[in-house]
Amino acid sequence: MAKWTELQDKSFLEATARERAVGIVDEGTFTEFCGPFDKIYSPHLPLMGEAIEYDDGLVAGVGKIGKKPIFVISQEGRFIGGSIGEVSGAKMVKTIQLASDLYEEMVSEKPDLPEEMRPAVVISFETGGVRLHEANAGLLAHAEVMDQIQNCRGRVPIISLIGSRVGCFGGMGFVAAATDVIIMSQFGRLGLTGPEVIEQEMGKDEFDASDRALVYRTTGGKHKYIIGDCNYLAADSIRSFRETTTAVLQKPMEEIETFRRIGSMEKIKEQIELVKLSVSLKPKDSMDVWAHAGNENPESLINMTLDEFLAQAKRLKA
Amino acid sequence: MEGMLNELNFKFKSENPVDVVLPKHHYGVVGSGDLEVLLKKHELEGAVEIRVVSPVRGFDHVWEKVLEKVISDAEVGNVAIEINDNNATPVVVALRLAQALSEAKSAEQSVN
Amino acid sequence: MQKEKVWDKLSTDTEERMNAANELFSDRKVVPSQNGVALLEAVIRAGDRINLEGNNQKQADFLAECLGSCDSEKINNLHMVQSAVPLPIHLDIFDKGIAKKLDFAYGGPMAAKVAEFLREGKLELGAIHTYLELFARYFMDLTPRVSLICAYEGDKDGNLYTGFNTEDTPVIAEATKFRQGIVIAQVNKLVDKVQRVDIPGEWVDAVIESPKPFYLEPLFTRDPANITDTQVLMGMMALKGIYGEYGVQRLNHGIGFFTAAIELLLPTYGNELGLKGKICKHFALNPHPTMIPAIEDGWVESIHSFGGELGMQKYCEARPDIFFIGPDGSMRSNRAYSQTAGHYATDMFIGGTLQIDKYGNSSTATASRVAGFGGAPNMGCDAKGRRHVTDSWLKCGAEFEDQAALLGDMPRGKRLVVQMQETFKEKMDPSFVEKLDAWNLAKNANLDLAPVMIYSDDLTHIVTEEGIAYLAKCRGLEERMAAIRGVAGYTEVGLSADPKETKTLRERGIVKTPEDLGIDRSRANRSMLAAKSVKDLVDCSGGLYEPPARFVNW
Repeated sequence: MAKWTELQDKSFLEATARERAVGIVDEGTFTEFCGPFDKIYSPHLPLMGEAIEYDDGLVAGVGKIGKKPIFVISQEGRFIGGSIGEVSGAKMVKTIQLASDLYEEMVSEKPDLPEEMRPAVVISFETGGVRLHEANAGLLAHAEVMDQIQNCRGRVPIISLIGSRVGCFGGMGFVAAATDVIIMSQFGRLGLTGPEVIEQEMGKDEFDASDRALVYRTTGGKHKYIIGDCNYLAADSIRSFRETTTAVLQKPMEEIETFRRIGSMEKIKEQIELVKLSVSLKPKDSMDVWAHAGNENPESLINMTLDEFLAQAKRLKA
Repeated sequence: MEGMLNELNFKFKSENPVDVVLPKHHYGVVGSGDLEVLLKKHELEGAVEIRVVSPVRGFDHVWEKVLEKVISDAEVGNVAIEINDNNATPVVVALRLAQALSEAKSAEQSVN
Repeated sequence: MQKEKVWDKLSTDTEERMNAANELFSDRKVVPSQNGVALLEAVIRAGDRINLEGNNQKQADFLAECLGSCDSEKINNLHMVQSAVPLPIHLDIFDKGIAKKLDFAYGGPMAAKVAEFLREGKLELGAIHTYLELFARYFMDLTPRVSLICAYEGDKDGNLYTGFNTEDTPVIAEATKFRQGIVIAQVNKLVDKVQRVDIPGEWVDAVIESPKPFYLEPLFTRDPANITDTQVLMGMMALKGIYGEYGVQRLNHGIGFFTAAIELLLPTYGNELGLKGKICKHFALNPHPTMIPAIEDGWVESIHSFGGELGMQKYCEARPDIFFIGPDGSMRSNRAYSQTAGHYATDMFIGGTLQIDKYGNSSTATASRVAGFGGAPNMGCDAKGRRHVTDSWLKCGAEFEDQAALLGDMPRGKRLVVQMQETFKEKMDPSFVEKLDAWNLAKNANLDLAPVMIYSDDLTHIVTEEGIAYLAKCRGLEERMAAIRGVAGYTEVGLSADPKETKTLRERGIVKTPEDLGIDRSRANRSMLAAKSVKDLVDCSGGLYEPPARFVNW
């Protein structure tokens, strides 16, 4: 693997899970949990004659940004689409739990522990959700992750990073939506039902999954930024994701809570307003929504560079 | 390895083997057509042991030739290697293993 | 009593046919689209030779649908002469018995269906051609009686604007009309005045505005994100060991990721080797999006194109010093002329293939797919009629050892014909084989010959990840085979190499490994590419390149 300094300029889109995990925290601070040499791999895949990976497609560990302990979870889309099975799911659950336990321990020892030393969780998503080869275990892991995320509410901030090839879909789309802050790049995609599944269920007229431009302007980073599903758009480099993450984590927990999409009566009301808007607007395409948000020539935003886009794009207000 | 996966074991010795520097090293991702390599420094009287786990069958002789060539070119010894493969072609196998060995041989410690 | 000889049967017949269609016209040469089927039923006779325009890019798909909807009781046993059969409707026409015989050049996605229909007797094959070869026969023994073509714009007088995607249209229209045939055009738009007259109205008998724009396949777009490290390595080898070595300035690139990698290495590795201005100045080439960085970096002087490429129109129009742009400001492609340029005026053809046999013959056919040839063989061969001289042509000719066996001491040049292929494709499918699958196809589909894309006697170089085989330098077939074995890696062909023999060939410079070429393998990775994604290409073009939806990932 490239050195940490070289990793910073690496495309986040092309980076492996381990590169993202190592590069997102400060140089030389990353320690991996259950790494390849621990050989904790899926017991199900060999039975089906499927290739295994010793980290089960998920890199977990802990590092630091400044004085802050950062618990990192990073999914590898190249291994079975980044799908979550029994082992990768358990690694995810346990890592969040460790962050929560550490928080408890540190704060009980020192109740006035400065914000800058309190632990946080960063999840780099690249997944279509449940691994179908081990579906029950995978589904259970999703529920347990949700449980851990709830447990961290108001105590340990959880940041989602989405900018890898596979995007973040299926059950993991729900998981990402339940975290505090979502950072995407314009190459990131976030959704629940994947494009191919929508096409399969509803037909090509409803959603043409081979029309990648349609897929991206419906699930991609720019759209999610305009409609508020994602909080920040980063450039496509590990450095940009790290810097954005660092900036977010400098904010106090109360402020980070305000970035959430769900989780309070107020947030639910905002979401209901959005549902009302979608009923009255009847958008045929995301461009209708962009226009409604105040973007006069929405198509022109699609091919803009990130800086131009951030300077010009108007975001939806519920 | 239980189940349906093919497990292969090889032992090679190159002419002037040099020890790797890193005590252990991991390289690669088990993507489609790709593989991961795990290297562990291990006293083997200069030899190299390789264990391959792969869903592919019927190419055991090709594995042997490719691995033998890479080890002989790399001139390394005293290292135990594990490979988890998912349909990698010989060119990818040779490329990844050579890259992994080259990193493990270099004194420059990489990030993990 | 001697009967007076009739010399204008064709034009009389054409007049009769057109008269039968009279009432279907709404205005001068305009026929409403709902009359499409009736028009074809009026002017086509059973057993006619019909051209249906369509190649590996644009398709007269509306007229194809109309033909497929004709009554097979009235219209049947047609002899189709057409560049390509890539759409399902092309085969439906045979399934319904409307057509019987086929002469074509390129099978594309329907290649398996063509083989199946041949076996089942639903389709009788004339021959598989190259594009230029088929065009030649339009002016010899395969002139169409009726041609169904397509254009962007048409007017009431039949003038057509085919613009960026002119492609095969002029050849078809000229061959048909000048033997008194009937030319029917589907157009995307009926206009008062066409942007530019690409086909004069006199050559066109009927114009139909199609309900949908004609289908266009972005066949030449390669997403840089899918280029592998191995392809980068082989691209570096080709640039240093062939482009640089021979100073290749006039060339064609085949379709594929190997040549896409080379295009994206020009502004990086090419500059590092100091090759700008020395190689890659003139191309017969479709407007490959992956050429944008090299064009922007000042490598290229001219590109003439066989066809347009979806999304590249604005970019090409904004670079009139490079592309062939009309007085109206839009590009005109022309397959016949570009293929001619590719055959006579290039010094190198380089492209990928599927299989290479132990002698060096290569083919993209598999046992169950009649893939056809397209244009590659016209460029992937030595143009025997060529007489003009360039340095790289002379250099390769001087190296060509076996030439003396037929020419004595008479010097002659030779085109570089280069095949690039990894020794194994996905799933351990070897690229080097004892016998090509094309032999099995010939048996399965009752072909007279195994379809060979490039014959060994034309091939001068093979590039694999193992090395470059300089075949032109070899003495005799045995030595060529040894050189091929020397770069065939761990395939059965490669494993049969004698290491001593390969070593001798390396010493003689007939086989060169990346190390022999002085290429550091550890540098061969995607970071060498001037663009790593389609978005990079868009940014590099200053927003002029508008990629098709399927290539957009932002």
